[in-house]
Amino acid sequence: MSEPEATVFVVDDDPSVRRGLERLLRMAGHRVETFASAREFLERPEHAGPRCLVLDVRMPGQSGLDLHDRLVASGRDIPVIFITGHADVPMAVRAMKAGAVDFLSKPFDDSELLGATRQALDRDRTRWASRRRFDGDAP
Amino acid sequence: MRANDESAPSALRVGAIALVVCLGYFVGANIGFILRLPPATPSILWPPNSILTATLLLSPPRRWWMYLLAALPAHLIVELPVISPPSLVFALFATNCLEALIGAAAVRALSDAPARFDTLPRVAAFVVGAGMLGPFVSSFVDAGAVFLLVGEPYVSVWRTRFFSNLITELALVPPIVFIVRSAWTRARQASLSRRLEAGLLAASIVSVAVVYFFGHSDAADPLLGSPHTPVAFFVPFVLWGTVRFGPAGATLTFLMTTMVIIWAATHGHAGFSMPPSTESVLVLQISLAVSAVPILCLAGLIEERWRDRTGLADRLRFEELLARLSGAFVHLPSNKMDQTFEAWLERLGRFVDVDRMMLLRLSADREVFTVSHAWSAPDLPPPPRTNLREAFPWVVSQLVAERPLIFLSPDDLPRDAKRDRDSLIEAGTVSKLALPLVAGGRVLGALALVTVGRECEWPEELVGRLQLVTEVFANALARKESEDALRASELMKTAILASLNSGVAVLNGGGEVIAVNRVWTRSSPDFSQAAAASVSVGDNYLSVCRAAARRGQPYAEEALTGIESVLGGTRAGFSFEYPAGAAGHERWFAMSVVPLNRAEGGAVVSSTDISERKRAELEAQRSRQELAHFTRVSTMGELTASLAHELNQPLTGILTNAQAARRLLDRAQPDIEELRAIVHDIIEDDRRAADVIQRLRELLRKGESEVSRLDLNALIRDVLKLLGSDTVIRNVNIALDLESSVPVVSGDRVQLEQVLLNLLLNAMEAMAERLGGDRTVVVRTRNTDAACVQASVEDGGPGLRPGTLETVFEPFYTTKSSGMGMGLAIARSIIEAHGGTIWAENSTRGATFHFRLPLGRSGAA
Repeated sequence: MSEPEATVFVVDDDPSVRRGLERLLRMAGHRVETFASAREFLERPEHAGPRCLVLDVRMPGQSGLDLHDRLVASGRDIPVIFITGHADVPMAVRAMKAGAVDFLSKPFDDSELLGATRQALDRDRTRWASRRRFDGDAP
Repeated sequence: MRANDESAPSALRVGAIALVVCLGYFVGANIGFILRLPPATPSILWPPNSILTATLLLSPPRRWWMYLLAALPAHLIVELPVISPPSLVFALFATNCLEALIGAAAVRALSDAPARFDTLPRVAAFVVGAGMLGPFVSSFVDAGAVFLLVGEPYVSVWRTRFFSNLITELALVPPIVFIVRSAWTRARQASLSRRLEAGLLAASIVSVAVVYFFGHSDAADPLLGSPHTPVAFFVPFVLWGTVRFGPAGATLTFLMTTMVIIWAATHGHAGFSMPPSTESVLVLQISLAVSAVPILCLAGLIEERWRDRTGLADRLRFEELLARLSGAFVHLPSNKMDQTFEAWLERLGRFVDVDRMMLLRLSADREVFTVSHAWSAPDLPPPPRTNLREAFPWVVSQLVAERPLIFLSPDDLPRDAKRDRDSLIEAGTVSKLALPLVAGGRVLGALALVTVGRECEWPEELVGRLQLVTEVFANALARKESEDALRASELMKTAILASLNSGVAVLNGGGEVIAVNRVWTRSSPDFSQAAAASVSVGDNYLSVCRAAARRGQPYAEEALTGIESVLGGTRAGFSFEYPAGAAGHERWFAMSVVPLNRAEGGAVVSSTDISERKRAELEAQRSRQELAHFTRVSTMGELTASLAHELNQPLTGILTNAQAARRLLDRAQPDIEELRAIVHDIIEDDRRAADVIQRLRELLRKGESEVSRLDLNALIRDVLKLLGSDTVIRNVNIALDLESSVPVVSGDRVQLEQVLLNLLLNAMEAMAERLGGDRTVVVRTRNTDAACVQASVEDGGPGLRPGTLETVFEPFYTTKSSGMGMGLAIARSIIEAHGGTIWAENSTRGATFHFRLPLGRSGAA
C-alpha cells in the first residue's frame, strides 16, 4: 500500500493569487487544491494523507487566523503557512504560537514558499507515518 | 384798491390842516375887507368862502366838520368887531359853511375827481356844483339872515351875495386847490424856460394893469358895461396862461386879472367912478363870472386834449418799452438775468419817474422777503437787503396774499400797520406802489416803486401798465427758478456720477453713449485691451461690443447680448463678470446693465473693477483646494493599510505567476497554453495595480478643479473600490441603497470623492468601538426633487452627541485622537462650493450624514 499523495491546500480570496500559487506549487510537483474562502475549505472532507495549508490572513468573512484557530480547536493538526499583505508582529506571534509553520509577507519569493511548503509537508508526513504506525491501518 | 380808504392820518396832521384852514380863513377875510367897496357891507370878492370850499374838496367828508369848526375862531375874530349884532356873525358863518357844504357835496356827486379841473366834465361839475349851486342856494339863507337881523332889502342882498360868492368860488377855489395839491411839485419839476415864461406872463399882466389903470387919465367913460371894460385887456394873457399852462395857468392868470381889476375898481382907477355904483359892481362881477366859465372850460378841455395826446404818446412809449422788456427776457439765459433785471429796473424807474425801483423776492419757504434787485435815484443809498417781513410785516402779508399795495403817503396805511408806517417814515418813503409777482399760481415776490420825500399819485393806467411789467418779470423769475433748479439737478447728477467708484456710461435707446463719468473715462472696459478711454460719449457701445466680438474677444458677445436684451426690454437687468487685459495681469470687471427709466428708453452700464475681490476669491479657492488636498493626503494616511493590501494583491499575483512561468520555461517542453494563461493573469494583475495607483494619484493630485458631469451612483462605487480592503480590515459591511437612476450632477470628481471617502471613513470609524453585532454602513442615493439629488451615509455607531450636529462641521472639530478635525469642514466647503448643502442627523441606528447637490450646472469651486 503506497503512501497517499501529499496535497497542498490553498485558501485565498484573490483569484489571481490563488491561481499563481496553484501553478507554482504544481510546477514544484505538488498536488494542489484551492479554495476562495475559509468556509469552502471547511466544507471539504479531511484529506487522508500528508497535507499542508497555505492560508491568506485577510479575507472577507472568516479571516485566516479565525480559520486556523478553528482547526486547532477541532484538533485538525494541519501545518499552516500564513501569507499576508500586511503583516504585523502581534499577528505573526499569535500565528506562530498557534503552531503555524511559517508567516510569509506578500509578495514573497517562490523558493521561500516552496521551502516552507516542503518543510510543512515533511512535518506532516512524519505525523502521518507515526499516526499510521499508531493506528495500524490506512485512512 | 387805494389804501387811503382806511387811512388814519395822524392827529397832528389833522390839527395842522385845521390850523392852516383857520389862518387861511383869517387872511382871506382880511383880503375880503380890503376889496370891500366902502361903505357897502358886501365885498366884490369874499375869499374865506373859497377857503372853506377848497378845504372840503380836498378832504374826506367825515372830516369836514372839523375843518369847518376850525374856521369859526377866525370868522369871529374878523367879523365880531365890525358886524353887529353878533347873531348875524354866527348866521353868516352858518351860511358860509352851508355854501361850502352844498358846493363840495355837489362836486363830489358830479365829478369823478372833485379836486381836479383837468377835464371838461370835471370843470363843468365844479362850475355847476361849487360855482353855481352852492352860492345860489346859500345866498337865499344869507339874504334872509341879513334881512331879518339888519333889515336890508332881501332881493338886493341876495343878488349881491350871490354874484360875490359866484365870482369868489370861480376865481379862487381852483387856484387854491392847485396850489395846495401840486404847485410845489409842478414848480420844482418845471424847466427853466417854463419858469421864465410863467414869470414873463405874470409881469405882463402887472405891466398891462399899470399902463391901463394908471396911464389912463380919461375918466369920462362911466359905464363899465361898455366895450371899454378892462376885462377885455386881460383876456389875451388869460388865454396865454390857459393854453400854455393848462388849468393851473388859467386859474392863476384869471385870479391875478380878477384881483387887479377889483383892486383898481375899489380904488377908483381907470374909469371906475368912486364909489362905483352897485350896478357897476354887479356888471363887473357878471363880466368876470361870464369870462371865468369859458376860460375854465377851455382850460379843462385843453388839459384834457393835452393829456389825451401825451397819454397816448406815453402809452406808445410805454408799450414800446414793454415790448423791449419782454424781448429782453425771452430766451435770456438765467445767468444773465440779474444784470438785466438791474438794467430794466433803472429804465422803468426813470421812465415812471420814481426814486427807487425794487424787485422783491419771496423765499421758497415763504419766510423771507428781501430786495433782490434794485435801482435807486443817484442821490439815494441802495435799499437794505434785510428780511422785509421784520420791518414791513403788513405790507409783506398783503403782497404774499397777492394783494397789490398803493398809497400816497405812510398815513394812508391802516391802523394795524403801525410797524410798517414807522419803517416807511424812517426810510423817508412817501408814496409806494407794490405789485405782487405771480407765476404759476405762486407769489414769487413783488415789484415795488417808491418815492422819497415827495408824493406820487399812482394813476390806474400806470398801475395797469406796471401789471404787465410784473407779468414779464414773474415769468422771467419763474423761468430762472426752473432753470436754476434744472442746473442744480444737473450739477447734482454730475456730482453723483463723478463720486461713484464704478465706471458709468449712460446709453440711449440705440446703444449710443450719452454720458459717462470720470471713472469710466479713466478705465472703461471695452474688451479690446486697447486704450481705456476708447469708449466715450457719442460712440455706440453696441457697435464697440460687436467689433470686439468679431475680433474674437471673449465676453464681448455675452455683454452684447445682455445689453441688447436690456435695451430691448426683454430683461430687467443684466450683470456678469469678466477678465480684461493680458494674461497674468488681467483685471476683473463686473458689468451691470439696468434699464433707464424714461420714455425714450436707454440703459445705464456700470463697470466696477473687482480685481481685488476676484483675487481674494481665487486666493480663498486656492487655499481651500490646498486644504482639501492636504486633508486628502492625510486621509490617504488612514488608508495606507488598505492601499498596501490593494497593491499587494496584484503584486503577489504577478510575482507568483511569473515565478511559475519561469519554472515552466525550465522544462524541456513548456506548456504554451499554460504560459499564455499565466501571462494573461499577470497582465490583469498589473492592470489592477495600475488602477489602484491611478485612483491614488487622482486623489493626491493637486491643482485646479475640473468640472465634469458625474453619476453619483458610479462615484460611490468607485470610492468603495478604494475602500474595499479597508472594509475587510475593519470588518465592516457596506450596504448600498442606490436610486436606480440618479440624474447627473456637475462637479469636481476628486473633490466629491473626497467628501464620500471622508463620510465613509468616519462611518467606519464610528463603529470601531462596536464589537460584533450590526457593523453595516448604509449608503443611499435619492432624487429628492426635480432640482436636487441627495446622498446619505448612515452608520451603526453611537450617534452624534446632542448639540454637536452643527459643530461637527466646524474646523478642528474631532473626536479622534489622531486627525486634524478638518475632514468635515472641508467636506462642507466642497459641497457648498458646488452649490449644495451638507448636514448631519442622528438616526435610529447611529449617525447619518446627508448632502444634497443641485442638478446640472453648479458653481463649481
